[in-house]
Amino acid sequence: MEKLIIELKTEIIKVLNLEDITIEDIGNDDPLFGDGLGLDSIDALELIVLMEKDYGIKLKDANQGRDIFKSILTMAEYISKNRTI
Amino acid sequence: MIINPIYINGIGSISIQKPLSEDGIFNPVSYDTPRVSCIEPNYRDFFTPAVSRRISKIIKRSIITAKHAISESGIEMPDAIITGTGLGCIEDTEKFLDSMIRNEEKFLKPSFFIQSTHNSISSQIAINLDCKSYNNTYIHRGVSFENALVDAALLFKQKKIDSALVTGSDQMTPNYFTLLKRIGYWADTVNDTLQFVRNTKTKGSFSGEGSISFMLSSQQNKNSYALIKAMDLFYKPTVPIEQKIEQFIQAQGLNIEDIDIYLTGMSGDAQNDKVYTDIGKNLFLSEKTAFYKNICGEFYTSAAYGLNVAASSLKKGIFPAHCLQDGKERKNTTHILFHNHFKNKDHSLILLNKCSN
Amino acid sequence: MSEQSESVFITGMGIISAIGIGVDETLISLRESKSGIGKINHIDTIHDLPSAEVSLTDNQMMEILNIEAGQIVTRTSLMAKIAVKEAITQAKLTLDGKFRVALINGTTVGGMEKSELYYFDFLENDKYNEYIEAHDCGSCTESIADYFGGISYVSTPSTACSSAANAFILGQNLINEGVVDIAIVGGSECLTKFHLNGFKTLMILDDKVCRPFDETRAGINLGEAAAFCVLEAKKTIDKRAVKPLAKLSGYGNACDAYHQTASSPEGNGAFIAMDMALKTSNLQPTDIDYINAHGTGTPNNDESEGRAVVRVFGDNPPHISSTKPLTGHTTSAAGCVEAVISILSLNNNFIPGNLNFSQQIKTLPFKPTEINIETEVNHVLSNSFGFGGNNTSLVFSKIESAT
Repeated sequence: MEKLIIELKTEIIKVLNLEDITIEDIGNDDPLFGDGLGLDSIDALELIVLMEKDYGIKLKDANQGRDIFKSILTMAEYISKNRTI
Repeated sequence: MIINPIYINGIGSISIQKPLSEDGIFNPVSYDTPRVSCIEPNYRDFFTPAVSRRISKIIKRSIITAKHAISESGIEMPDAIITGTGLGCIEDTEKFLDSMIRNEEKFLKPSFFIQSTHNSISSQIAINLDCKSYNNTYIHRGVSFENALVDAALLFKQKKIDSALVTGSDQMTPNYFTLLKRIGYWADTVNDTLQFVRNTKTKGSFSGEGSISFMLSSQQNKNSYALIKAMDLFYKPTVPIEQKIEQFIQAQGLNIEDIDIYLTGMSGDAQNDKVYTDIGKNLFLSEKTAFYKNICGEFYTSAAYGLNVAASSLKKGIFPAHCLQDGKERKNTTHILFHNHFKNKDHSLILLNKCSN
Repeated sequence: MSEQSESVFITGMGIISAIGIGVDETLISLRESKSGIGKINHIDTIHDLPSAEVSLTDNQMMEILNIEAGQIVTRTSLMAKIAVKEAITQAKLTLDGKFRVALINGTTVGGMEKSELYYFDFLENDKYNEYIEAHDCGSCTESIADYFGGISYVSTPSTACSSAANAFILGQNLINEGVVDIAIVGGSECLTKFHLNGFKTLMILDDKVCRPFDETRAGINLGEAAAFCVLEAKKTIDKRAVKPLAKLSGYGNACDAYHQTASSPEGNGAFIAMDMALKTSNLQPTDIDYINAHGTGTPNNDESEGRAVVRVFGDNPPHISSTKPLTGHTTSAAGCVEAVISILSLNNNFIPGNLNFSQQIKTLPFKPTEINIETEVNHVLSNSFGFGGNNTSLVFSKIESAT
């Protein structure tokens, strides 16, 4: 799990162009949206693409992302349960 | 077309010359390559990383030049935001297109698509300024900028607006440069861009890029650069263009002799430039012939840079030697006739006057 | 921005979409609520999404237009030529130079359908060089102008899904300021893999038929179309002794200035555009008999547009429907496709119903007009909203009540 978390943080920084953020800045329980990392609805779409590309998980409805992308931890848990690659 | 006087009260420019400065016009840098990119400002001075990360370069440039023009003008919020762009956000269009073909329509990034539409420049400026007024975008090849300017002029004439932010913006990517090179847009070698237009009569020009914003107003103020007295835009004129120009000048109560500078879209491309040299000969304007693409390079909205040269030189009272065919600086110019054409099909004419202050 | 200007009139219309080639077929489809949404045939894509394509192939269109095989054409420009031809025929307009005529073509994809096929060739070899310049949208407009000749002013507004609506604004202003006598305005957009995939990445395409203003709505069905109208002032109409079909009473253009793709929850830009369109038309909200909504079927658009409608018209707005379940969302062309539908509604006194509706949106106090209704229609407001908040509203009025 720890490996997946670091992998996710690195990939999110890259995909979302978070230039001024390092993996140490993102706490496992920090909210990704709103007050935490400050991501928005387009970032959510980018994360959906990331999950499909890297882990073979397809979401049909963007709203499903709301629960999955609460924090890095919730995202990692969802991925480890549902990944196909 | 009959227009009301329009004052240029603020200009912001990012180009292959020094950004947000008139240095590029009066002390330009020369290059020795056919593809020249913008001198970028330090974007971190203008955008927080959070805002910056999802706006592409052409949009950043345009927001910066828009804000610069607005602040120079002293007007808080424009009544209209209108942009002309030949290719729009071509960088993101290419990224999306490339990955769509390469990955066979899978794993595509929404951010590239969102920014691929041409209107995202005007709308991002509006979002950044929180400006809900009239907003439009024109994408018509080498006269995209003039199309935007006409739209503003029509709104001014109908008294629907008192101010307008008009921007010309284009970016040149390595790939699009390659595409246009295939169809003869660019010269093979360029040794000295500043001298290129005067000395070269070859096939193709050198490529530049830029975002140039103008804050236009129906009112003159102490910072006004110049006055747009008249303008016209036409497609495939059925009478010789000389006749169109004479009519255009006479409609303003002027004669050809009153024109101090005939500012042209000469680019060093022989076929393009012949249109202007013929007019120069036929209308006795040869000695007054000037150009600006030696400073900014060729791009679809380079006419915006031409307007910048005309307006800035009228304000300063000096028309720079390096932009004149005869290489001699002019002082005390009052009337500039700015003529631009695209493939001798689309023609634009703008008459600029010195402000009376 | 709410100054009134002199009105211009529509004297000819042309349209080609999934619900018909020409105005007559379009009217029949509207009358019979015959949707054009089906499977994708003309583009090669992995996505199986309901879309509304024009039935004709490129070759069939070239035949109709007498364009020889081997000419450089794009589907967008072919569709546009068919629509312009119909519009100028109806307007009895011969492009012989007697009048100054503008062609204003709203488009966003331009020649993308060829670029997406040949892009790597463009980069690597000279095989398809002639299509490189066909990529840009201005060249599409000029190819239409050159096919007919006699056009002295061309322009290409591009504000995504409100492009064609903005063509009407420029047309009216050019006529009122005496720059041209007549303006052929509208837009054209063929379906491309590029924007199909683009909308797909935003997860706003519905894999079932679209359901605008329905609680269960889940997105857009894309469509392709071209539509054009001939605009002219009263004095030109008198000179040419032609009959006006409708009046363009007013317009509003505003920017939502909220988000790159999403509309503000309160529909600010939409509210300003509609409000301004009414003011420039010198009409009250109660004068409007029908609103042809933008109504894309995305959760965000319909709620935001709905709230703006309530802000302008109150909890009981006039008849309102989205005709996108019939035509699909024809993106840049939509503004003129829906202008043609609005004018057909005026002149035939009927409201085209909002197909596929079953449940009212919980947060809105009104529901759309579900089925076709025969009723007197004198003024129609048509909404077109584009990405980035480029919102435009147009008001069309019947000739009897207009003069």
